[in-house]
Amino acid sequence: MKTLARELKAILGQAGVIDDPTRLVPYESDGLALYATRPELVLLPRDTDQAARAMAVLARHGTPVVARGAGTGLAGGATPVENGVLISTARMRDILEVDPEDRFARVQAGVVNTQLSEVCRGHGLMYAPDPSSQMACTIGGNVANNSGGPHCFKYGATSRHVLGLVLVTHAGEVIDLSGPWVDPQGLDLVGLFVGSEGTFGLATEVTVKLVPRPPVVEVLLAIFTELEAACDAVSEIIAARLQPSALEILDRLTIEAVEQSVFAAGYPKEAEAVLLIELEGVETEVSGSQQEISAILNKHGVLSTRSARDASERRDLWAGRKGAFGAMGRIAPDLYVADAVVPRTKLRALVRRTVEICRERNLKLANVFHAGDGNLHPNICYDRRDPDEVRRVLEAGRLILETCVEAGGSLTGEHGVGLEKREEMEIAFAPEDLETMCRVRDAWDPDRRMNPGKLLPMRACMELRTPSPRA
Amino acid sequence: MADLANRDGLVDYAKSLDCIHCGLCLQSCPTYRITGLEPSSPRGRIHLMRAVAEDRAQATASFVEEMEFCLLCRHCESACPAGVRFGEMMEHTRSRISTHRGLGARLARWFGFRVLLPNRRGLKLAAFLLRLAQKGGVLRLLSKLGGRFENLRYLPPVPTGSERRPLPRKNPGRAPERGNVALLEGCVMPELFGKVNRDTCSVLNVMGYGCALPARTVCCGSLHAHNGDLDGARNLARLMIEDFEALGYLPVVVNSAGCGAHMKELHHLFEPDDPWHARSRAFAGRVQDLTEFCAENLDSANLGPVDEKDWPAPVTWDDPCHLCHAQGIRAEPRTLLSAIPALQAVDLPDSEHCCGSAGIYSLLRPQASGEILRTKLEALESSGARTLVTANPGCQLQWQSGLLRRGSEVRVAHLAEILASSLAAD
Repeated sequence: MKTLARELKAILGQAGVIDDPTRLVPYESDGLALYATRPELVLLPRDTDQAARAMAVLARHGTPVVARGAGTGLAGGATPVENGVLISTARMRDILEVDPEDRFARVQAGVVNTQLSEVCRGHGLMYAPDPSSQMACTIGGNVANNSGGPHCFKYGATSRHVLGLVLVTHAGEVIDLSGPWVDPQGLDLVGLFVGSEGTFGLATEVTVKLVPRPPVVEVLLAIFTELEAACDAVSEIIAARLQPSALEILDRLTIEAVEQSVFAAGYPKEAEAVLLIELEGVETEVSGSQQEISAILNKHGVLSTRSARDASERRDLWAGRKGAFGAMGRIAPDLYVADAVVPRTKLRALVRRTVEICRERNLKLANVFHAGDGNLHPNICYDRRDPDEVRRVLEAGRLILETCVEAGGSLTGEHGVGLEKREEMEIAFAPEDLETMCRVRDAWDPDRRMNPGKLLPMRACMELRTPSPRA
Repeated sequence: MADLANRDGLVDYAKSLDCIHCGLCLQSCPTYRITGLEPSSPRGRIHLMRAVAEDRAQATASFVEEMEFCLLCRHCESACPAGVRFGEMMEHTRSRISTHRGLGARLARWFGFRVLLPNRRGLKLAAFLLRLAQKGGVLRLLSKLGGRFENLRYLPPVPTGSERRPLPRKNPGRAPERGNVALLEGCVMPELFGKVNRDTCSVLNVMGYGCALPARTVCCGSLHAHNGDLDGARNLARLMIEDFEALGYLPVVVNSAGCGAHMKELHHLFEPDDPWHARSRAFAGRVQDLTEFCAENLDSANLGPVDEKDWPAPVTWDDPCHLCHAQGIRAEPRTLLSAIPALQAVDLPDSEHCCGSAGIYSLLRPQASGEILRTKLEALESSGARTLVTANPGCQLQWQSGLLRRGSEVRVAHLAEILASSLAAD
């Protein structure tokens, strides 16, 4: 490692290579602190060129590489691996180009999601995907996980917004696919790369689509005395072909945590659930769908509905929703955020089942989720120092995923598979499917040094794969 | 549970468990923003503390360095959904890592915290010598040594002796029909910002309040607490509470955000069963920042236009960290400024970000402090403001020094100076 560090320092400078054992400690986990592995080194390149030269050195040494944006991911996608190095994009944070006429922007991978939206605001544009961690998470991390967010219900997740990428391969070659291409020419490598969770290579620059800010925005806060009634209302809004820009449910425990925090937004503490609905468009469009939605809410026994008074209350309501994960720190030291997608006609039954699964295991559950997408986030509170509780949490997590997949849903909505759901991939995919995925992965990274052990089950890649070139 | 390496209480372990590792604090942190390093972020520092407490990491020199690299601006507390009390945790850890410091550093700290700061005559002598060195060109010569000394050139000039005269112990004003308030004069304030203190008094006088000053209090001890001398902070807290109580339980008005934040939280210094805990809580309840006190009690009908020669428009407000993040005061200063007739005010982008002053941080770490200030200066330029208003002596000095270095004409004012100018208008 010493010679490796020396070679890398020659490329990245003293400050670009962390090898001090104490300073490596905080890199051992990402947003899922249940898993921790110390990296041997942390590298902080400033641009594509530095990243490529560093990757070439790592290739020569055969060192495993894990990429990390802000480390806010909830599936362990940026957890380091044994004897591996971590490449942090935290110093690649320049906005390279904003083209308001052609409506795209080109940014370095370490640019923070909200920072991009702030820069575009003056042009009447926005970058639509808005993960709850958007005030910290990076565009590069969003690309890796194909991240979502409340507004992806209307606008689609990250993959719909990436027009181009600059990539560094496992060997340190630069592939310039920066576009911007609304419709890619030839094989859509950009589309393939988005969501590959760092297993294909390192994205260093991202070209994104910018969309116009809507002229009128309305946020409705609907209060329910029963969580299941809120779920039914969502199912019916979807079935009625209405298209709000976001549909979010927060349950009682979540509301309590948020209302105690700096993000207190005035969510009613006596409610069993609130449904947060955002409508946008031109005036008539918004008021029209507001009426239709109100009728549906009334049919499902809503206690009361009100509109946010102004932009500042809308901002507060969203800040409260987006601070929900962190706010759970008030309830327990750790939080397991499950991330599964279910058919939106089955919300009621599956939410009820998650409640039961946690109750049977004596676990504290808070539900806050992107209801419009059918993207459940059962949040299970625990303490990672209690091994038995951890066991019960993981068991509940697996059971919830199995239930959702059986009901026709999927393993992950927006957080990625990472380390956390690697083994559960076998619930959703047959061995042949996994083998095919391994082959695609091998095409990008034949040495399997890029984020090894993530995304695809170990066994699948070990036993089913074609012979490894290094084997 | 696991608390193995924490026998000497290096870490406030229970508080460290509140952090759920979400990372929403990252972009609020000035040291993370300049370095991009996780160990230099609030989440990273808490992770390190917890790792040390659980015996998964050693309290090495790098650990100490990351703890001291923090500015204690507490911006992360404003960003934290879990309500982690980062400031208290950091003060705790800093107070326990003192044994890791070298002899020279310990001596300098002893002299600064125990001898100089609590002593009016010592501070007077220091200000006198500093002025002499500035006048005689000694500082200019020293600055040629470069490194840490380079910044000495850009230290704003120490005011003349008459500017540095202390406030009279009783300052009744013309007609104190609304009664008296107690005022904290501060340690550095009278030496470097005597005018701000006099303007504070005159604003309160015009509002109908007389000002009473405690007999013995010099320094409130906030610098001690932030820099890990909790014993020193406790001694000064006891002295200050007694001293202010002797004035008769008056409202305590403070024009320095850093001091006010500390004075409102004095009870954190004492265990709950210590009688001083309750006493300092009662004291804290009487403390108000000047902006808070004025927003509540000032009759805006008395405000006139500000003297354009002294304070050219447009003006902008920069939130001192210990006003907005520690005391949660954001609206009051803006309300006051907007109540001044014909005053053109503009928004300062990222006004809640730290300017890099942080008490004595700018002296101890000029390079990091300067780098943090740089983005603030750029934001100021983009705002087009010609007067920057703040409410904390450290921030005022930091801005003055940064603007001097840039050769900028932008003026720096304490809100008390703007209010005094506005109230003096006919």
